[in-house]
Amino acid sequence: MSLLQVDDIHVYYDKIHALKGISVHVEEGEIVTLVGGNGAGKSTTLRAISGLLHPRDGAIRFEGKALGGLGAHDIAALGIRHVPEGRRVFGRLTIAENLDMGAFTRRDRRVAKDDREQMLALFPRLRERYRQLAGTLSGGEQQMLATARALMGKPRLLLMDEPSMGLAPMMVEQVFETMGRIKAEGVTILLVEQNAPMALGVADRGYVLESGQIVLEGAGRDLLGDERVQRAYLG
Amino acid sequence: MSGAQLARSQPRISVGRVSPVDIVLWSLRILVLFVVFAGTIGAIVKDRYTAAQWFDFVMFGLTIGAIYAQIALGYTMVYGVLRLINFAHGDIVMCGAFAGYFVASPLDRSGFLTDHPVIGMAAILAVAVATSTGIALLTERIAYRPFRRVAGSGPLIAAIGVSFFLEQTFRGMFGSSVKSYPAPAWQRSTFEVWGFNVPRIDVLVIGLAIVFMAGLYLIVQRTKMGTAMRAVAEDAEAAALMGIDVNKVVVFTFVLGGAMAGIAGVFYAFVYKQVYFFMGFTPGIKAFGAAVLGGIGSIPGAMIGGVFLGLVESVGPSLFLDGLGIPAPYQLRDLIAFTLLIMVLIFRPNGIFGERMAKQRA
Ligand SMILES: Nc1ncnc2c1ncn2[C@@H]1O[C@H](COP(=O)(O)OP(=O)(O)O)[C@@H](O)[C@H]1O
Ligand SMILES: [Mg+2]
Repeated sequence: MSLLQVDDIHVYYDKIHALKGISVHVEEGEIVTLVGGNGAGKSTTLRAISGLLHPRDGAIRFEGKALGGLGAHDIAALGIRHVPEGRRVFGRLTIAENLDMGAFTRRDRRVAKDDREQMLALFPRLRERYRQLAGTLSGGEQQMLATARALMGKPRLLLMDEPSMGLAPMMVEQVFETMGRIKAEGVTILLVEQNAPMALGVADRGYVLESGQIVLEGAGRDLLGDERVQRAYLG
Repeated sequence: MSGAQLARSQPRISVGRVSPVDIVLWSLRILVLFVVFAGTIGAIVKDRYTAAQWFDFVMFGLTIGAIYAQIALGYTMVYGVLRLINFAHGDIVMCGAFAGYFVASPLDRSGFLTDHPVIGMAAILAVAVATSTGIALLTERIAYRPFRRVAGSGPLIAAIGVSFFLEQTFRGMFGSSVKSYPAPAWQRSTFEVWGFNVPRIDVLVIGLAIVFMAGLYLIVQRTKMGTAMRAVAEDAEAAALMGIDVNKVVVFTFVLGGAMAGIAGVFYAFVYKQVYFFMGFTPGIKAFGAAVLGGIGSIPGAMIGGVFLGLVESVGPSLFLDGLGIPAPYQLRDLIAFTLLIMVLIFRPNGIFGERMAKQRA
């Protein structure tokens, strides 16, 4: 059984048919990436998985359980965390409070405290600015916070939407390096990126999206070498 | 770009041409400044009021201001979380006042309120809080939640409808007459500090308001639900992705606002010694203005805005209207309050303290 199974979903924005039958599966322990140009439907796919949007057709299963009809907060409680496009940290909350909100659904307070220590060890910049408002952080620091906040929920599956967007090259390197470490901790990742070379480099498998449909899929490295991908996305 | 859009994108105030609207707005500012300054100088020159009278004005201003502040908190929190102007909030205050009245009346007649003031007071407040909170929650569930995802003015119209509904329901059940709110002797008595007569009820209202508002502030700042409320106010979708149930946070917000409204209703009845079905309207509008004054969505802003408004309307008539020789200035304090609110809405719609936040919102 796949950890996540997306079966032929169709999502509409009013009359706009944004996803025209997307099927994706993610196995435990993998990094899987969705790549594609702007407007291909990558974010829409993640938003459908995390319950922010509801597919008109098709099904999404997490650990075999159908997610249809569940609200976003229910799905989060099941162990899926979505780091949205643009990071969306709570700018008027402190870094500490942002992390607390990440652990909102957890009852094991003491363990959550250890996890917070672990997060601060993973992202030392956050420790330095622990009591400051998240709105004062740089883009790279906000990405760290958004990731740490999501991990505070102890997710089985992490959905990441363009974590490298708008970051300086050195920060981009760091984002991808962190992803490797998160995977090593046993968290499965579904990564959306426009930066196809980086994403396909780190991923086990990948899907290429175009206008709401999957046009190619395969192992990360194979896609990276694929002539069509190179022509379309890697220039 | 069409001609109309071009015209709109031009700066409104240009050097060469001054529009009639600008002239009106500037006249308004100058008029208000004139009234304030000339009136204040006039009042100082005339020296009509004694120190004791000024003290009374300030004391009353702080008392009524503390009540406005508590009501304003409800507007500002609901607006922060739902972007809804809860037009019925003043009527929730009225509900609390009525509930308090129905407890206070029999307790006063039996003498219990005189013999056991603390227990009596606690009972009045508890029933008022329970009533206001309950009605606030019903309002949210029945009238606001179905409109949550509706864009445009639907939610606001629902709120106005609730306001009428509550007013007319109370009128239907309890009549349109003004009922006098009982005030046992100790509530009417004063004590002396440095030669000034301090009404006990004022000290009680201000003191309890500070305690309750401090409690609310701690809840919002320190508890998990309070933090979740601030998170939802900032980005409800991101909060839902953390597993925060936005509906529960909305309920929590209405509980806090409803409780504050219930307490404020009782205090308002203490001060004016009466209850009637329409009593929530004026303090409601004023407290909404106080919330805007403080920057709607800001909790400290609502507190400061409320106290400021109370002081201005209490001290203002004697300070700048009497100085101009206007007869019976105290009749005009609502005029002062509403002028202040209109000025804020025209010139500083983001509020005096709320600018930074309003920018982040945009
Ligand atoms: N809120 C929205 N309302 C209407 N259309 C939208 C909305 N969000 C996205 N779309 C449309 O859906 C399609 C997919 O968008 P999206 O999933 O954001 O793409 P990507 O993340 O791959 O850039 C695009 O054509 C986009 O214009
Ligand atoms: Mg996107």
